[in-house]
Amino acid sequence: MKKYWNYKEIISELVKREIKARYKQSALGYAWVLLVPLINLGVLSIVFSYFVRIPTGDIPYPIFLFAALVPWTFTANAISYATSSLLSNSNLITKIGLPREVFPISSVVTRFIDFSLSFLVLIVLILIFGLKLQMIFIYLVPIVLVHVIFVLGVSFILSAINVFYRDVENVLGVFLTLWMYLTPVIYPLNIIPSAFSRIIVCNPMVGIIDAYRKVLLFNSPPDLKLFGYSTASSVLIVILGFFYFKRKSRYFADVI
Amino acid sequence: MNTVEFTNVSKKFRRGRKLLLKEALIDIFKPQSSEWFYALKDINFGISRGDAVAIIGPNGSGKSTILKLIADVIFADKGKVKAMGRVAPLIELAAGFHPELTGRENIYLNGVILGLSREEIDRKYNDIVEFSELGDFIDTPVKHYSSGMYMRLGFSVAVHTDPEILLVDEILAVGDSNFQKKSFSKMKGFKKNGVTIVFVSHNLEAVEKFCNRAIYLRDGRIVADGNTTEVIRKYMRDFNINIKAEIGKKSFKIA
Repeated sequence: MKKYWNYKEIISELVKREIKARYKQSALGYAWVLLVPLINLGVLSIVFSYFVRIPTGDIPYPIFLFAALVPWTFTANAISYATSSLLSNSNLITKIGLPREVFPISSVVTRFIDFSLSFLVLIVLILIFGLKLQMIFIYLVPIVLVHVIFVLGVSFILSAINVFYRDVENVLGVFLTLWMYLTPVIYPLNIIPSAFSRIIVCNPMVGIIDAYRKVLLFNSPPDLKLFGYSTASSVLIVILGFFYFKRKSRYFADVI
Repeated sequence: MNTVEFTNVSKKFRRGRKLLLKEALIDIFKPQSSEWFYALKDINFGISRGDAVAIIGPNGSGKSTILKLIADVIFADKGKVKAMGRVAPLIELAAGFHPELTGRENIYLNGVILGLSREEIDRKYNDIVEFSELGDFIDTPVKHYSSGMYMRLGFSVAVHTDPEILLVDEILAVGDSNFQKKSFSKMKGFKKNGVTIVFVSHNLEAVEKFCNRAIYLRDGRIVADGNTTEVIRKYMRDFNINIKAEIGKKSFKIA
């Protein structure tokens, strides 16, 4: 007879703890969730529409950028919080035998709630700029699903490694910045010279970001090949990541 | 029927930590090269339902390792650990508390982490608050609590989880003498209701009063297992012999 754990309730309590505790003692509180991406958007828009011009066709640069920046911010925040989630819950891990995967999962869920809020702002901006949103009703769910699965998979792997080698946490900031520049977030996919594009598209985030843009800004379905590749690799990563995490989690309390 | 069963259980830990990349790399090529030590070696015992068993022994003998194995916090390298039913670890109370959240919010958080459902917590909420004696402070963030209040709330949540196996690690030092008395009688109540209790303590007096069986560990092995009074006597005898041996050595040197 194995102990029964109510995953849904544990994760929801951990997420509530995270959200309630995060902005206590701060004057603007939860508004920071929207302020940070907006500040980012402001700075990057000025730089890349006035200092360095990036061609984006009929789409105004700020909205072109925001459609990719909002999903990218979810990727970066979720992975970075999930990676340190096991260490920051070490007091629970060394005392209570609850299933360890609840920690990276609840970090990803918390950041997903942030993402949903900034996504609403994105939708409002898109409507203000007068773009049509039809494809979103068909494709948004599968795109978000693939995105979340990918982020979860990477989170399982990095959070488990980070327990044994804390170098992961230290190098992650640089890694995420480089990763953003190698993903078409601040520039369009088609300006990459063809010699590089073969390598660039190995990154599953390329297909995911491109799919968001196609659906939100160009009113067209995602690129079948590119998004298909992202879907397949995300599923593979989440399966491998989960098994790796489960195998390693037996030793978390030994070393943490 | 045993609720807790250890069959040939060994648990080893790595001595020290890998800090240098060089050592980590060597480790990849020669996985056996780093030094291990056994916290537990070939441990066998079974605890039947309703038993109150003390685990005694000097520091570092493997007592807490046994509790952690029962609680599924760590896992055996060899052998099998079986624990049937809901385990309540009274190991470090309030492990899951968040300082910014109120007592009420922490009751839900900790309760769910210890395996209760929200619905069960709703039902027990008043009992938990009453037992903790926190009164109106329950809606204050726990960072403003005194350490006694903190521990009282943690204890109160843990004992309200309807445990089938209770793991106790030097816990009766919680709160003032009044609360200690209350905790002790709560534990006696558990014992009467057939809850299996595994008790780790250096307080031999409390052990003798509370447990019907004791297991004496030294260097990760069982030295004695049986009637509490006899095992304690053996432990104390060994302990005294060791002290005499030490004194003997010293006086030899002086001479």
